[in-house]
Amino acid sequence: MVPVSQETGQGASSIHEVLERVCPVMHIAEGFLPPAHAIAWGVASAPFVVHGVRSLTREVREHPESTLLLGASGAFTFVLSALKLPSVTGSCSHPTGTGLGAILFRPPVMAVLGTITLLFQALLLAHGGLTTLGANVFSMAIAGPWAGYAVHKLLRRWDVPLMVTVFSAAFVADLCTYCVTSVQLALAFPDPHSGFWGALGTFGSIFAVTQIPLAVSEGLLTVLVMRLLAQSSRGELARLGVLPDRPGKREAVAR
Amino acid sequence: MLPIDAAAHGSRWRHRHPVDKAVLGLGLTLLAISLPAWPGAALVLLAALTVLLGPAGVPGRKLWRAARVPLGFCVTGALPLLVRVGGPGGGVGLADGGAVRAGELLLRSSAASLGVLLFAFTTPLSDLLPRLVRAGVPAPVVDVALVTYRMSFLLLDSVRRVRASQAARLGLTTRAAAWRSLGGLGATAFVRAFDRAARLQAGLAGRGYDGTLRVLVPEARVSVRFTAASLALLCALAALTHVLEGPLT
Repeated sequence: MVPVSQETGQGASSIHEVLERVCPVMHIAEGFLPPAHAIAWGVASAPFVVHGVRSLTREVREHPESTLLLGASGAFTFVLSALKLPSVTGSCSHPTGTGLGAILFRPPVMAVLGTITLLFQALLLAHGGLTTLGANVFSMAIAGPWAGYAVHKLLRRWDVPLMVTVFSAAFVADLCTYCVTSVQLALAFPDPHSGFWGALGTFGSIFAVTQIPLAVSEGLLTVLVMRLLAQSSRGELARLGVLPDRPGKREAVAR
Repeated sequence: MLPIDAAAHGSRWRHRHPVDKAVLGLGLTLLAISLPAWPGAALVLLAALTVLLGPAGVPGRKLWRAARVPLGFCVTGALPLLVRVGGPGGGVGLADGGAVRAGELLLRSSAASLGVLLFAFTTPLSDLLPRLVRAGVPAPVVDVALVTYRMSFLLLDSVRRVRASQAARLGLTTRAAAWRSLGGLGATAFVRAFDRAARLQAGLAGRGYDGTLRVLVPEARVSVRFTAASLALLCALAALTHVLEGPLT
């Protein structure tokens, strides 16, 4: 039995039902971190978010129409995390979207869009939280996108085919997000005997069972999305700098 | 519209200033993580639940629907605390005092979540976001957040319809078809988001758009009485925790 075959149109009858499937595993829940850790992760995230806010403000001041495109990008990021992802093991979860977001919108902008999305998820869906916003921003809007983007840029420099770089970026971004979350939890709740490393082993092994297959799934989904976009929205991808412009392409003009 | 936001728009406290509700809701959250879990977080949980179901008038069923998913994650997240790695016996086993630590974490997390839910169930984001400019958030960021907020609902609706169409065309019957449909869904969301932004841009340009989105914000004043009562409740909870901490632990 294929797990997704149950899902018919009736299954997704309301927005709430679609969103209820947003997997909260990627977020650290409200009140989970001690105050010192919550503040420390907020401080660690702040320079990246401030850097993102500055580049976004500069972009909007130079091109006022960018507000709408950036808003659309934020909405796309929010909706992407609501898609139901069939895992290669048969279970279901949801993509983090950090890899695709970083490739499309660059990490500084993703830091801001990710923060906005996480704030909305905390207040509209009760997923994540406000005291854990700094920690969640660090794992999902900073570490994941930067790791994915670095892999993407590195592989592109070596002339690796685009779809291979897209898969690798999404896989690494997803995995990096969960590794950072494991570190955050292990720092907050060290094992009484084996300390930080023991706790990291416990949290890491629990996440690894589910997250490695999900990272593969997210990589595959991102490749599928990018392939379709390369066919249907080449202009937008070129404008975002993902695909090269085609200066050699000749177009008919009226003289 | 999402259930929490819809409830916030119809809330009894809708017309109160967001600062009033932030002092109470977020104050309870801060107390929940700062005070000892027993009896501090338990008292905060009780107080938050009483305010939510009583004066704030949040229906119990809606509250349960919103709280059950994060609660499920709290339980999953607390489970590793029951286990220890290494130690005297080596290998993996039950951690000493793990159940107490997991219980305290659950209590603290549930109480903190209810504090945020109190704020979220009474304050629509459309009332909160435009006011963030006064709190020092740059106007372009607030504008982007406002567009994101309003466009998210439309895009979610589009995604739901596309998914229903894919299901009706047997696009979810096999694993391969499901993957193809999911890829199509993600790409369609991107295309529709950018298409909507372009059309919105054209529409706004016709109305003299200069890069600033001006929206009307319902007028509200910070209530000194409400804020003072909230602070009094927070102080009472902190004092009661310190009084009860000795006898109850």
